[in-house]
Amino acid sequence: MKTILVPVKMVLDANVRPRVRADETGVDLTGMRLSINPFCEIAVEEAVRLKEAGHAEDIVVVSIGPAKAQDTLRQALAMGADRALHIQTDDSPEPLAIAKLLRAVVEQEKPDLVILGKQAVDDDCNQTGQMLASLLDWPQATFASAVSVDGDRLRVTREIDAGLQILSLPLPAVVTTDLRLNEPRHCALPNIMKARKKPLTITSPSDYGVDTTRRLTILSVRPPAGRKAGIRVSSAAELVGDLRQAGVL
Amino acid sequence: MTILLLADHDQHTLSDATARALTAASATGGTVHLLVAGHNIGAVAEAAAKLSGVSTVLVADDPALAHGLAEPVAATILEHAGDYDTIVAPATATGKDVFPRIAARLDVMQISDVTRIVAPDTFERPIYAGNAVETVKTSDKIRILTIRTSAFNPAEAGDTPAEIKTVAVPQASWRARFEEEIVTKSDRPDLSSAKIVISGGRALGSADRFRDTLGPLAERLNAAIGASRAAVDAGYAPNDLQVGQTGKVVAPDLYIALGISGAIQHLAGMKDSKIIVAINKDEDAPIFQIADYGLVGDLFQIVPEFEKALG
Amino acid sequence: MPSYKAPVEDMMFLLRDVFRSDAVFAEMPAQTDTDCDTIESVLEEAGRFCSEILYPLNMTGDIEGCRLENGKVITPKGFAEAYKVFSEAGWGGLSASPDYGGQGLPRTVQILVDEMLSASNLSFGLFPGLTRGACETIEAHATEDLKNLYLPKMIAGIWTGAMALTESNAGSDLGLLKTSAKPRDDGSFTVTGTKIFISSGDHDMAENVIHLVLARLPDAPAGTKGISLFLCPKFLVSEEGTPGAPNNISVGALEHKMGIHAQPTCVMNYDGCQGWLVGAPHRGLAAMFTMMNAERLFVGVQGLGVADASYQTAVTYARERLQGRTPGATVTSPIIDHPDVRRMLLSMRAFTEAGRALTLFTALEMDREKFHPDPEIRRAATGLVALLTPVIKAALTDFGFEATVLGQQVLGGHGYIREWGQEQVVRDARIAMIYEGTNGIQAQDLVLRKLTLDDGQPVVRLFGLIRKTLDEAEPVPALASVRHAVQNALAHLESVTKRLTSGDLSSAEERNAAAVDYLRLFALTCFGWLWLRMAHAQTEAGISENGNKPAGKLATAQFFADRILPQTASLAVQIGAGSASVMAPDAGQF
Repeated sequence: MKTILVPVKMVLDANVRPRVRADETGVDLTGMRLSINPFCEIAVEEAVRLKEAGHAEDIVVVSIGPAKAQDTLRQALAMGADRALHIQTDDSPEPLAIAKLLRAVVEQEKPDLVILGKQAVDDDCNQTGQMLASLLDWPQATFASAVSVDGDRLRVTREIDAGLQILSLPLPAVVTTDLRLNEPRHCALPNIMKARKKPLTITSPSDYGVDTTRRLTILSVRPPAGRKAGIRVSSAAELVGDLRQAGVL
Repeated sequence: MTILLLADHDQHTLSDATARALTAASATGGTVHLLVAGHNIGAVAEAAAKLSGVSTVLVADDPALAHGLAEPVAATILEHAGDYDTIVAPATATGKDVFPRIAARLDVMQISDVTRIVAPDTFERPIYAGNAVETVKTSDKIRILTIRTSAFNPAEAGDTPAEIKTVAVPQASWRARFEEEIVTKSDRPDLSSAKIVISGGRALGSADRFRDTLGPLAERLNAAIGASRAAVDAGYAPNDLQVGQTGKVVAPDLYIALGISGAIQHLAGMKDSKIIVAINKDEDAPIFQIADYGLVGDLFQIVPEFEKALG
Repeated sequence: MPSYKAPVEDMMFLLRDVFRSDAVFAEMPAQTDTDCDTIESVLEEAGRFCSEILYPLNMTGDIEGCRLENGKVITPKGFAEAYKVFSEAGWGGLSASPDYGGQGLPRTVQILVDEMLSASNLSFGLFPGLTRGACETIEAHATEDLKNLYLPKMIAGIWTGAMALTESNAGSDLGLLKTSAKPRDDGSFTVTGTKIFISSGDHDMAENVIHLVLARLPDAPAGTKGISLFLCPKFLVSEEGTPGAPNNISVGALEHKMGIHAQPTCVMNYDGCQGWLVGAPHRGLAAMFTMMNAERLFVGVQGLGVADASYQTAVTYARERLQGRTPGATVTSPIIDHPDVRRMLLSMRAFTEAGRALTLFTALEMDREKFHPDPEIRRAATGLVALLTPVIKAALTDFGFEATVLGQQVLGGHGYIREWGQEQVVRDARIAMIYEGTNGIQAQDLVLRKLTLDDGQPVVRLFGLIRKTLDEAEPVPALASVRHAVQNALAHLESVTKRLTSGDLSSAEERNAAAVDYLRLFALTCFGWLWLRMAHAQTEAGISENGNKPAGKLATAQFFADRILPQTASLAVQIGAGSASVMAPDAGQF
């Protein structure tokens, strides 16, 4: 492999509890801590490991989002990516538009492999990787928990409902990452400093001729129906009695 | 309006998820065609034909479909997609894997994990690990949906079986090659559809203690076993038992959480259960805030007492 | 459960909006690349390291402690691995000279990372902290040969440093120390003596420990003018830089301490070990003291760090803990709704955020002192740093300890037991008030030396800066009452300062008796000044990205002005009462 492309997304930090805006237009991000999507971080880590193992030469990270998304790209560069591309937009394009933009990037960069997170923990869509594979007519292996290079093919272990499934893919291909694929590294200070100097190109969606008009109108965003704490019981026997009375035992 | 629903199955049995997704599909208004894609799937097709609300079962039988891989399954659906304005799958691993491929090819923005059909073009779905619910209206001509099955009741069996029709499977040399499947064997009911789920957290301390503590109780209650992400990461339970934002989302009649503190990611996967029981030694564990019945104490002591109390 | 999140947002608010550090560093040729975006990415990653790796080891390290087995110190489980990761990631070299492999970042960034290290794991943070102190001393005073041989490995964290000053009879008064050094034929020295309270004196986390030992040469004059500094490695180092034979340095005992149990504080025996002179003969204390400002700033942020860790836990707990009902509530209230719990939390926050601001202000002056091309600016910075160093050391550790006690109190009984970590923080916080010059010594330094330094120019300059802030805030109605409170505090401080420097309280005994109260008055006034600056920055259109500004700044400023700053009035009265009642009883009457 020569080049690996890793698309990454900046999201509300996974440790921050989202607050829905009172006007129901969305989740309030003002002043909130934004971070790299955890699945995307795993994707960057996997790409860097493949490069460190000598399977790739060049890692390009790309993020589509507001100016602040560059922090996410710098983090990926500090982890070991070589170059970054920021397609800057203050809209939040849907996965379909993102996949189209990524297709354009793939046509430019000609990577042998695209690794990306299986879903972003904000919209929880779980679509972009599959859509990109489809638009490129590439094979895909989603929800990867292990990736290894097997000659000119890739061997990917996927987490599926019944257990694990192992696929062998020719390149180029799209892989989406699951949680247990790896544990992302802590960046070294010299690498953080070097990352500031690594190339970061800024473009805009219009440079790729992609229409990013939203297909879905968000009518409302509301907090979920609450669930109240019930009662405390003092013994297992009391619990069994209560559950029998409730008709579930 | 005709709706195409992709059946979820393991080549032998039709999963409960299909019946639940069928309820959602029917709610969008229209006749439902159920597509069973696989290999040697006669039994699955017959079971599918019995579901109420299915007018036709389409059987796509081909060796290439034997493992539900994304490329051939997506191509098969696309072959017939022109006849439908709504295409639905349960949000199972296969549904999630295959559907965005179809959506992109049809230039449609898919709506994932639908929990409520508001109108034929308007849907509710959870975002931020269930910490918010968005209502979206699509402007696409075709609607492509995956269904959060725990949010819908399974469709009942119908009076007259639906017509079963064989459909063509496109032929090509599919590039992703199936190598092997490591299926977790279990005599327990399926986690996604069990009436009772008993889940364990990291407090179980080891794989042996996880098995020895949860196993007998699950046996006794004919319950499925689940696990928190912490327990799976620690290696106490296999990944397919994970309940949560990125694992399985379940909504059984009774959910018993043993030694699970209740991270929001876990709650996202089980908070729609009818009755939640939490047993934890930390009285401040967040799980108690959503539990109907909370019991503070050492689970290794309480579980045997619980079994004894069952009589 | 307790967790620690580095306060990067507040730190960046201070740098971007309050102190406008981009403009400050742009004036320093060596630091023009140190923009806020760079600093933020460094702080984010350092914070992640502290939260994910060091904080989880804090309680386990406290419980397990260090052990001395067969003459070797064994640190708690996980420490050696964490230190390896820390060093390999280059954190030890953050502000170290690029000539020896460091990253050359400014003190300002170093001190923020030091705060995170102290907050997440004070015992651990002392290892790199002391190593840095040793490196800076070596770099400033040792020969080229010693620098080339020792600095690269120490900066890389492969070797650690220890500072060996105190002896059983020589603590605050180092002039009494007895350790001796005799010249050898090869130009090195034989060092003999016993030192106590040696942090990181020995351990299993690095392949060598480099001791900087204060000792007397045979011809040394008595007192502090006869002390020299020697570099003594645990293992002798070959010309190629490989550690070899042991150097007759051994651990006499591990001190049994109140806190920082994971930090091996050793009794060290130097039994005729080989050492090399650092700096000129008899100028050892001077060499050591070039690092003093930086070391004292470091100890100050230890107080700040532990206070913030305690605050974070207290807030988490207060939000979750349901007890009692506030008036009108129909269900049990989280204790954060109760006025007294709010008082405690706000007191903690009012201190930590002002303390952080004062630290950053001073660190930026230290960077000006080191990196600014204009000698006038460097000289002015030197004066401010000298003035504020004892204030930071003492005030941040005093108030820091008080904050940890409040943080413990918020949790009630749960703060007294081990589970939430609040009692550990109280114990750990206590040391910072004692070492690196007790806080009483700091107060003496302030009133006896620093007030009159350079004919009192630094203090005049500082009061001028406070007045400038008052003037700038005048047109902003929202700041009026905070401004008024700061103005009152400054009036008390100026009046007392005058009496101490040239008025009725200017005798040495009066100054001494006033010192601790005066330092507190001084610190509170500085905190008030910085709260006004922060509140002012908060009201201005932000230059932070996303308009990100910490929530609750104005309310906390108001709380500080209303409920804490008035203490300056009573302190002024206390000081004004003079030394008479302090000195009245004779020693036998105690």
